[in-house]
Amino acid sequence: MSAIAEQSNQESNTTGANSNEYLTFVLGEESYGIEILKVQEIRGYDAVTKIANTPSFIKGVVNLRGLIVPIVDLRIKFHLGKVEYNELTVVIILNLGGRVVGMVVDGVSDVMNLQSNQIRTVPEIVSSIDTKYITGLATVDEKMFILVDIEQLMNSQEMELIDAI
Amino acid sequence: MTIDMSQFYEVFFDESDELLAVAERLLLDVNIENPDSEDLNAIFRAAHSIKGGAATFGFMDMTEITHVLENLLDRIRKNEMKLTAEHVDAFLTAKDVLKMMVDGHRLATDVNLEQVADVKMMLKSLSENGDVTPKTTSAVVAIKPELEPEPEIVILSDNNTPIADGLKRFNISFINCSEKDLTNLQSELELLGSVILGQATDKKPYLLLDTESDQDDILSICSFVLEPEDLVITLLDPTLEATIVAPAKTQVAQSLVSNSVVTEPVADSIKDEKPKTEKVKVEEEVGYGLFAEEGEENVEEGYGFFAPFKPHPDAQVLQLIGDDNASAALEDKKAEDAKVVTETITPTTMQPAAKRESPTSNASSETTSIRVGIEKVDQLINLVGELVITQAMIEQRISTLDPAHHEPLINSVGQLTRNTRDLQEAVMSIRMMPMDFVFSRFPRMVRDLAAKLNKKVEFVTNGATTELDKGLIERIVDPLTHLVRNSVDHGIETPEQRKKSGKNETGRLTLSAAHKGGSIVIEVTDDGAGLNRSKLLAKAKSSGLNVGESMTDTEVYQLIFAPGFSTAEVVTDVSGRGVGMDVVKRNIAAMGGVVEIRSVLGYGTTVSIALPLTLAILDGMSVSLGRSLYVIPLGLIVETMQPTMNDIKTVTGKGLMVSVRGEYLPIIPLYALFNQDTEIMHPTEGVLVILEAEGKKAALFVDGLVGQQQVVIKSLETNFKKVNGVSGATIMGDGSVALIIDVPAIIKMGQLNTEGAMQ
Repeated sequence: MSAIAEQSNQESNTTGANSNEYLTFVLGEESYGIEILKVQEIRGYDAVTKIANTPSFIKGVVNLRGLIVPIVDLRIKFHLGKVEYNELTVVIILNLGGRVVGMVVDGVSDVMNLQSNQIRTVPEIVSSIDTKYITGLATVDEKMFILVDIEQLMNSQEMELIDAI
Repeated sequence: MTIDMSQFYEVFFDESDELLAVAERLLLDVNIENPDSEDLNAIFRAAHSIKGGAATFGFMDMTEITHVLENLLDRIRKNEMKLTAEHVDAFLTAKDVLKMMVDGHRLATDVNLEQVADVKMMLKSLSENGDVTPKTTSAVVAIKPELEPEPEIVILSDNNTPIADGLKRFNISFINCSEKDLTNLQSELELLGSVILGQATDKKPYLLLDTESDQDDILSICSFVLEPEDLVITLLDPTLEATIVAPAKTQVAQSLVSNSVVTEPVADSIKDEKPKTEKVKVEEEVGYGLFAEEGEENVEEGYGFFAPFKPHPDAQVLQLIGDDNASAALEDKKAEDAKVVTETITPTTMQPAAKRESPTSNASSETTSIRVGIEKVDQLINLVGELVITQAMIEQRISTLDPAHHEPLINSVGQLTRNTRDLQEAVMSIRMMPMDFVFSRFPRMVRDLAAKLNKKVEFVTNGATTELDKGLIERIVDPLTHLVRNSVDHGIETPEQRKKSGKNETGRLTLSAAHKGGSIVIEVTDDGAGLNRSKLLAKAKSSGLNVGESMTDTEVYQLIFAPGFSTAEVVTDVSGRGVGMDVVKRNIAAMGGVVEIRSVLGYGTTVSIALPLTLAILDGMSVSLGRSLYVIPLGLIVETMQPTMNDIKTVTGKGLMVSVRGEYLPIIPLYALFNQDTEIMHPTEGVLVILEAEGKKAALFVDGLVGQQQVVIKSLETNFKKVNGVSGATIMGDGSVALIIDVPAIIKMGQLNTEGAMQ
C-alpha cells in the first residue's frame, strides 16, 4: 500500500513539480482532502470499546490486528451533519509518524492528484476547524475540497488524543 | 571496498561484557592454594578473546591492558608463577577497568585514565616480580593459538651457503628467555631437526639447530613460545661447533631413534625426511593422548629428552600412517587450542593432566546460543499472541457447527489449538532467563563490601536456574543490589559482635529464587541482628507517623519502606535497612510485585519479593459492566461477594460501605467512576470485588463476574494517552478490546469520589 503510494508519489514528482495526492472524504455536506501518505487503510465501522471519562468525539478503542487504536468521530468534534453509524460509515486509519489513529467519516470519495496551482489559500472565516489546520482549498469540477493538515490536527491538544505535555 | 566496522561493535561489546562476567565469576571461585588449571585457562581465554576483539576494532587502550593481563595469566597458568590473593585482586581490578573501558567505548562514559595506568603498572610489576626458579627437570609445552606478527629477522652471519649434506645449522640465541621457554622452544624446534642446548661464555643459553628448513620456518615455530624480538637466529658454519655438538647430538639422536623405534644412524635420522615426520606424529599423538585419555602412561613420557624413556607403543602404527608434514600437524594442534603440560619427574605430574576434563564440551556450550535483538523477540511474542486470539476466534465460531457434519474440521481445529498453545509456550520461554544473570553479580559485590566493612560474609545462592522474564530480570537488579548491600552493611554484624552473641564469626547471606504458584519469589536472607520492633516504633512515632503498639510485626516492618523513614540514625540504631527502601518498594510495586519482611531480633532478616512471572501476561478476572468487559488483575483481588441489604451501610446517607466480617470497606461503583450505563444500580443486584493494593482495601461494585483468564497486556499509550483508572488494554477471545483496571488508581479515585459525594 505504501509502496503504491510511494510509486504514485514518484510519478507525480515527475509530472508536476508541486503536485500531491489527496484522499477525499465526506463529512456531512462538505468534502475534505488529506494527504494520502498519511492514510494507512480504510475499514468499515466496527464496535468500539468505550473509554471512561473521555470526550464524546473519542468513540473508544478498537483492535486493529493486535494494535489498540483510538477512534475519533470528526462529525461530533466539528458538529458536521447527522451522526449515524451504518454500513456506509467508514473509518480511515491514519498513520501519523508511527501513531495509529482511526477517524470516522461519512464516506470516502476519491484519490485526487492536485497541482500546487490548483490550491487556493483559505480566507479568514469562522469555521469549527481552526483555519491553522486547513492548508488550502481546491476546486475540481466545480466542487470544493477542504485540505486539512491531518497530522497537526490529530496531534493538537484540542483532539485530546495525546497526553498534555 | 571498506567495511563499516561499527556495525560489529555492539557484538564485541556484548561479548566482552559476557567474557568479563565469566572471568569475574571464575576469579571469585578460584582456589588460590590449588588453582584449577582449567579455570586459569578459561580466564586466560577470556582475556585473550577480548584482546583479539579489541585489536580488531582498534580499541588500543583495551588491547594494551589485556596484553599485560594475558602475559601475567599466561605465566601463572604455565606454573611459572604461583597464584596469590594479590593476583586475584589485581585481576579483578583489571576486570573493572576493562568494563569501564567497554562502557567508555560503548556509552561514551568517562574512563578514569589514572586508574587504567595504575592497573597496567600493577599487572606489569606483578608479572615481572613473581619469578619462580624454573625447574630444570620439567618440560612444559604451550601452544598458543595466536601467531605473532612476522618479525624482522636479525641475521648476523654470512649468506645461506648450503652445507654439504643439505642441512643448515642455525645458532639461536636469546635476549630474554626463561629456562622454561627454552625447553619449550627446544621441543618445538625438534620438529625441524636436531637441537642441541648449549651455554655461551656469558652464561646465556643458546640452541643449535641442524635442519633443512630455513629461517622463516624456525621463526614461525619460535613465535609459539617467544616474542620474535627476543631471539637472534644466526646461520652457522657447522664445523666450528663440532666439539660441542658431538656428545649432545648423540643423546638427542638416541632419544629420537628410540621414540620412533627405528634403528638408524644418527646422521641419517637427521638427513632423512621420513623419521622426522614420524617424530612429529609421535609428538602429536602424545599431545592428543594427554588431551583425551589423561592419566595414561604416555603422559609421563614427555618428549623423552631428559627422562628415561620407554618406547612409544603407538610409534610403529604411526610410522605406517605418518605422511603429514610438520606444519599440518601444528595446525591441528593450534586448532585444538591445546595446552599440553608434561612434567617428567615431578610427582605432581598427574594433577594438572587429570583436571583437564572435557574442555571441549565447555567450549561448545558457549556457541549454542545466538544473539537476537530484543525487539525481534517481542515482535514474535506479539505475533504469537495474535495467533492465539485468532485461534480462539476460530474455535468460538466452529463451536456452533454440528459436530456430526463437520467432524474433520473440528478435529483439525483441535489440533491447531494444541499447536498454538505449544508455540506460545515455546515463544514465551525465549524471554525467560535464569536468575543466575542477576545472582552472578553479587558474589563480587558482597566480597568487596565485606572487605571494606571488615566483616566476614559467606554468600550463598539458591535456585539460580529459576527462570524469569528478561524484562523483570533487568529491573530486579537495582532493588536486589540495594537489599544485598543493606544486609551486608546493616544486617550482618561485625565478627566481634557476632562472637559476643554466640554466633559464627562469618555471617551468612543467602539469595534464593523459587517458583511459587504463578509468581517467582526472590529472597534475601541474612543471619544478622534482625529488626528491632520497639526501636522502629519509637522512630516512627518521633517522625510523626501514625503507629501504635497494636500493630502487627509485619506492619511494623513495613514502616521501613515509608519514604523519609530511613535516616542515618535509624540505620545505626536499628541495625537496619533504610536508605532508599521506599525506592525498592516502589520499583517492585511497579513490576507488579510485593515485598514482605520477616525478621527475628538477633537471628536475622528475610526480605521476600514476589513477582509475576512475566510482564506481558496477566492473570485476570473479567467482570462485566453494562455492555463492556473489564479485566481486574487476579493478584489484587482478595475475594468477591454478593452482599445482602444488611451488609450495606451508608455514611450520612451517601457514602456506601460494606461490612465484610466486621471490617467496613468503601464501595466504589465502577459505573459511576467510568460514567457507564448499566441497569444494575444497587450493590445487592451485582457483585462486589474486594480489592487490596498498597495497603488499602476497597470493594469495587460491578455487574457480574465473567471468568478468569490470562490476558496479554497491551499498552493504551502506544496510540492513545494514559487514561486514569486504566492500566492497559487486552484483546478478548472474540477480538474485542477490554480495558484492564488500574487497581491502586481506582481505589484513589473512589476515595475522591466519595469525598465529593459527601460534600
